[in-house]
Amino acid sequence: MISQEFEFHAPKQLSEALNLLQRYGDDAKVLAGGMSLVPLMTLGLLQPKVVVSFNHIRELDYVNEDKGMLRIGAMTRHSTIRANPLIGRHCPLLSEAASYVGDVQVRHRGTIGGSVAHADPAADYPPVMLVVGAQVKLQSAKGERVVKMENFLKGLMQTDLLPGELLTEIQIPKLPDGAGSSYQRLHRVEGNFAIVNAAAVIEKGFKSARLGLGGVGETAILVDVTKRLGKGVNDEALRGVSDDAYAASHDAYGDLNGDADYRKAMARIYAQRVTKAAAARMS
Amino acid sequence: MKVPVKVTVNKKNYNVEVDTRMILADMLRDELRLTGTHIGCGTGSCGACTVMLNGHTVKSCCILAADADGQEITTIEGLSTGAQHLHPIQEAFVENQGLQCGYCTPGMVLSTLQLLTDKPNPTEDEIRHGIAGNLCRCTGYQFIVKSIQEAAKTINSKPAASKPAAAAVASRG
Repeated sequence: MISQEFEFHAPKQLSEALNLLQRYGDDAKVLAGGMSLVPLMTLGLLQPKVVVSFNHIRELDYVNEDKGMLRIGAMTRHSTIRANPLIGRHCPLLSEAASYVGDVQVRHRGTIGGSVAHADPAADYPPVMLVVGAQVKLQSAKGERVVKMENFLKGLMQTDLLPGELLTEIQIPKLPDGAGSSYQRLHRVEGNFAIVNAAAVIEKGFKSARLGLGGVGETAILVDVTKRLGKGVNDEALRGVSDDAYAASHDAYGDLNGDADYRKAMARIYAQRVTKAAAARMS
Repeated sequence: MKVPVKVTVNKKNYNVEVDTRMILADMLRDELRLTGTHIGCGTGSCGACTVMLNGHTVKSCCILAADADGQEITTIEGLSTGAQHLHPIQEAFVENQGLQCGYCTPGMVLSTLQLLTDKPNPTEDEIRHGIAGNLCRCTGYQFIVKSIQEAAKTINSKPAASKPAAAAVASRG
């Protein structure tokens, strides 16, 4: 039993839910999959006055393709992200990232919107979302706005979301034809958050090359390594990529899974690995 | 604050009033008296509280009881009618000593049911990934893996009609 009393709402319509968030503002906490929120409440680390569950709002569970863009409803579960053929075709590294989230049970319940809004610095989606140029749709009873992922992530578990606002959709441009991509992560125990994770997208002919790094700062970090790969992937280019990843990790934190120096060193390794893997998948 | 919850558990309908602070695992154990669902860590790490929600395994310590309103749940009690009529997965765990203290077993068995529904012939690697969300502190997993391999063999050797299906809903993958 959770010790702190709270009011519970489980609306079935998005409009109703947004009105509730508007009414309760800062007092309300959004319950998506609950894979982080419920344990945090059980432990007493979070004590919201009002909980609004989005689990009964069917209109937020979808994956569509529209004008070169994948649109993913915030309440789409990780297991769906992992297996969805549209995502597999147009953003395969997102499927890869989803396959690492938690474990089977967590993937059945946890949602992409919940994970992104929770903004854990080593979560699986943020580095991917940065390299593919994703944006998020934020809706409130008063209107909506679309924010680029790099502007959405503000700090350690801090986002651009305002009281009354809800992340309702993830928008991901389809990878350009021939682009290669990869997502990899370092972990000691399956199901744990990554110690360091990395994503890469390299456009055909090395037209552009982007890296996303997680676990080495308060938020995931986007690094443009296009210049390093001007002549393709060789030892010198990989050293350059590694140096860029190290430099970008200057704010790395330490915890019981790895101190800051270890994380920075691993950022070098994983930056090289995803770069090599993405280049190999390029056509 | 109390809220009414209507759930179907093991194909039986229940109407209960629960405190909003109650987690699903506690509702199953304390309100419905289905104590086969165990609570280990209470924070989503150990998987002892695994149940099936609408045909998919979830950790019932991470779901509010109030949020289960209108849903269909299968617990370990739903797999067999008693010790004389065990589910083939349960039989395989008994035969192969896939448990010692037994605390993790209900969760292990349900995760196995999910795994074998998704992948009737899993490799050892797939088995280990399939039960990654269930901790066992006794066995070292070796005999659990063996039990799951044996269960797969038993189930696959039976004609399709008598195969035990995971609770109704098609796999989400």
